[in-house]
Amino acid sequence: MLVGAGAGYLYYVAARIQYQHRADTIGPDFWPKLILGLVIATCIYEVAKLRLIGGRRDVSGLLDEIVEESVQERGDAGPEAPAERRPLLLVAGIALTAAYVWTIQWLGFFLATAPYLAAFIALGGYRRWLVNAAISVLGALAMMFFFMKLVYVSLPLGQGPFAQVTFFLMRVMGIH
Amino acid sequence: MLDVLHHLGLGFVSVFAPLNLLVLVIGLVLGLLVAVLPGLTLVMGVVLALPFTYGMEVTPAIILLTAMYVSGTYAGAWTSILFRVPGEPIDVPMLWDGYSMARKGKAAQALGWTLLAALVGGLAAATAMVLLAHPVASIALTFSTPEYFAIILFGLVSVVSLGGSSLANALISLFAGLLIATVGIDDTYGAERFTFGVRILSDGIDYLVVMVGAFGLGEVFTRLELGFRSVPIEKVDKVSTRLPSMKEVSATKLSFARGTLIGLLVGIVPGAGATVASFLSYGIEAQYGKRKDLMGTGIPEGIIAPQAAATASVGGAMIPLITMGIPGSGATAIILGAFLLHGLQPGPQVFQTSSHIVYALFASVFVSVIGMCLIGYFAARLLVRVLEFPEAIVSAYVVMCCILGAFAARNNITDVWLIVVFGVLGYLFERLRFPIAPLVLGVILGPLAENDFMTTMISFDNDWTVFFTRPISGSVMAVAILTLVYPVVRHLRRRRRRAAT
Repeated sequence: MLVGAGAGYLYYVAARIQYQHRADTIGPDFWPKLILGLVIATCIYEVAKLRLIGGRRDVSGLLDEIVEESVQERGDAGPEAPAERRPLLLVAGIALTAAYVWTIQWLGFFLATAPYLAAFIALGGYRRWLVNAAISVLGALAMMFFFMKLVYVSLPLGQGPFAQVTFFLMRVMGIH
Repeated sequence: MLDVLHHLGLGFVSVFAPLNLLVLVIGLVLGLLVAVLPGLTLVMGVVLALPFTYGMEVTPAIILLTAMYVSGTYAGAWTSILFRVPGEPIDVPMLWDGYSMARKGKAAQALGWTLLAALVGGLAAATAMVLLAHPVASIALTFSTPEYFAIILFGLVSVVSLGGSSLANALISLFAGLLIATVGIDDTYGAERFTFGVRILSDGIDYLVVMVGAFGLGEVFTRLELGFRSVPIEKVDKVSTRLPSMKEVSATKLSFARGTLIGLLVGIVPGAGATVASFLSYGIEAQYGKRKDLMGTGIPEGIIAPQAAATASVGGAMIPLITMGIPGSGATAIILGAFLLHGLQPGPQVFQTSSHIVYALFASVFVSVIGMCLIGYFAARLLVRVLEFPEAIVSAYVVMCCILGAFAARNNITDVWLIVVFGVLGYLFERLRFPIAPLVLGVILGPLAENDFMTTMISFDNDWTVFFTRPISGSVMAVAILTLVYPVVRHLRRRRRRAAT
């Protein structure tokens, strides 16, 4: 329902795409409208199916069926994945990554990346702090060297005093 | 034929240039490591390597990714055989006979059969790829936009009908990808579509951002939610490889042939990659093999069939990619992305415009197959030890590579924000059981599909029946419709059968 409603809104937006109309040719709105029409049709089919026959099993892709049948027949797909989910850990991971993207512009690549790596590794449950710190700092320096010195990618330098740290590291690494 | 051999020879010369050879070896080792680590998939590995190719010339870039793709179909079998931990979904069938053989104290023999199957399957399919690519490209040269549109549609439809636990979800995923590809300024009219007044969206959403975000970051978020808890690994004292004798090989030659042929054919079908090849080949061996009753008890045929097919699928998948620009698997979609990133459009003309790159790619498949087997023979023991490496550290670096990959493409921080958005979307897709492959292929092939569709409509006075009335496009459209309808028919038939019993 949600996907269908979203598609409906986008169809409305697509219908208002402005362009110079040419006689007897379809416009740039045709293709997105066609796709959105198909999304809405798929959603209607799904809703109708749920209403009419309830939550019975979906038509699955052939790969899924092949895998499922083979595994059922042989009875072994390897060790079970852990079932317990930790949504807080996920939210913390996403928030940490978003914070990293936010701060990288001010702090510059190295000053933002080393703490981010250390925090993400700790969040993932790794508790050897010294190893973590070493891996994070050396990793951030190695990435900076590879991308700025060898691949010539201009990574964020940071602003104000933070930029001075980046410039210092660049001088040490011989990056011009 | 002589012309092909001449170009292939030049391709080998290019691959054996010191820098290219170094890149190939790095690609092989990375591919083997990615395949061994359960948290990293082959496709994800190729995605993560992509940003490191930005500064490279196109030939070493393609060689690196191809080497990773080839070796990624092999090493996961080691962990299946030795530890009962499939590195990739491709390697699940390896549990049934490979692990069983290892439990009988024949782990070295099981690894030997795996190596030989990968070698035979890989080399035979690479030969077929070289022989078939040129004729297929010549045929494709005669195609016009309706045929191209039909072929792209077939590619998209086959991804949908193959993958995912729900056909409807796979369709929605594909449509989402096609829609994302429309964001930005339209090529024909210069009209703004779905930009919502945001300036950066006028340039469109880069397929790379979607690919890296959904495949890479999304997978890390999914595993983070599970706390990065890896399965306990059994201790194995000695890892060695013992190759089978000629007599043993001769007794199983039909299994090699079947596995290779299935892998090649499945590889050619757009959307069906090494996993389908591996499972299908095992299933066919269990149904038609000489020792079908013993399958699952630890016999060589149960190792040869999935492994030969998985590695052979690489050669098959390269054919539609090179000759028509249609990726045959998730990994070839990324390789297509690398081609486009370096300003090279695969298709029938590529043999005229950039044959040296194409033949270097072909040669790199041969060298990669041999190289990965050599590395596997001598260094499997060392490489399987990466399983002991903490997943939290690997994942932190995966995120870093994803972010750098997004940033380095256009030096734009907005792309990094977009990658986080697509990472969350990738997680949600995984969680809500929407397959990611159709989304990514939709983003990559969407602009081509739209362009071919619009050009056809303009050229043929808006007559949409042209897609069905021209012989080739009509036939391909019919196959595409059948491909989409087949899972539904199969589902209904199974339900009726189940109700009857």
